[in-house]
Amino acid sequence: MGGLEIGSKISGSAPKTGVNRGVAVLDFILRIVAIIATLASAIAMGTTNESLPFFTQFIRFRAKYNDLPTFTFFVVANSIVSAYLVLSLALSIFHILKSGAQKSRVVLIFFDTAMLALLSAGASAAAAIVYLAHKGNTRTNWFAICQQFNSFCERISGSLIGSFGGMIVFILLILTSALTLSRR
Amino acid sequence: MEKTEATTIEISESSRERKGKAPLLAAAVAHDRAASGYKRGVAIFDLILRISAATAALAATITMGTTEQTLPFFTQFFQFQASYDDLPTFTFFVIAMAIVTGYLVLSVPFSIVCIVRPVAAGPRLLLILCDTLTVTLATSAAGASAAIVYLAHNGNSDANWLAICQQFNDFCQRTSGAVVAAFVAAVLLIFLVVLSAVALKRR
Repeated sequence: MGGLEIGSKISGSAPKTGVNRGVAVLDFILRIVAIIATLASAIAMGTTNESLPFFTQFIRFRAKYNDLPTFTFFVVANSIVSAYLVLSLALSIFHILKSGAQKSRVVLIFFDTAMLALLSAGASAAAAIVYLAHKGNTRTNWFAICQQFNSFCERISGSLIGSFGGMIVFILLILTSALTLSRR
Repeated sequence: MEKTEATTIEISESSRERKGKAPLLAAAVAHDRAASGYKRGVAIFDLILRISAATAALAATITMGTTEQTLPFFTQFFQFQASYDDLPTFTFFVIAMAIVTGYLVLSVPFSIVCIVRPVAAGPRLLLILCDTLTVTLATSAAGASAAIVYLAHNGNSDANWLAICQQFNDFCQRTSGAVVAAFVAAVLLIFLVVLSAVALKRR
């Protein structure tokens, strides 16, 4: 009876390690997807530069991302998150090789949550300003600048998509790390 | 014949193993009890943090939801008034922080279940998933409103947007305070996620 028990224990832990390894590979792939998404967002927002074809004698009508400090924060936040993801790929590979690591997974969850908060703050702040640029606000007398700067508006609206996609990937990353922790 | 030999061998092995297993079992039980005590402490701290985060989120909701300032002067046709629903971002802030407060209050029973049963992984996994989603919602609301509050304080010369805080002082102070409270709630929620992760670890 004891021999049968030992035999069943050995066969029970092998598929568990296999699933954990598969989940770690999924974690690695998701991280790469998130790098692409946030980097694309930062680049799309950072390379905005639209000049209107008319100008007066003194002012040239131009729109760039650093005219609005919120967009500067957006570019910086996305760059920081991209850099963090590249650095965390190393830890992710370590988790593929050594599926039993627990403390490093907790550290990874902590940093993932902090980066999720930074990314979501940057993306939603930029979304608020993009909404304002599209619609304006009559009560505060803020004019909708999108009516003049068309391509600038399209770029800044499109760059939000990568950032929000990165947020969803982060939520999946935290969830898979937590699942792997609870399965050991 | 072979069958009876096999059964006698198995019986003798199991009795030897039973004698050898006893100290291992005792060590495992003591280890489990220490682990569950540690996890119970983590769960109690989790409950305290949850109630604090609910208080902060409630304060943010109420502060933003009750902002309304009417300037003492008025022209012949309209009165200068600022309220939170003049800006759609602030409306989103009030709704989102109300959802966060409601979720935190509803998750207190789950936290109590985790205190009572420290080793169970199911409630903790549910809490970590919902806490992550709530972190996203809270930081999203706080970040968007912070952008609008910054714009209201400083204006923007390139987009020709005036800084309305120069006229509506009280309104600006209240909205800034609400944004700070929302960020406090978001930081507490991040701690909650990390705490759940620490408690999920099998020692």
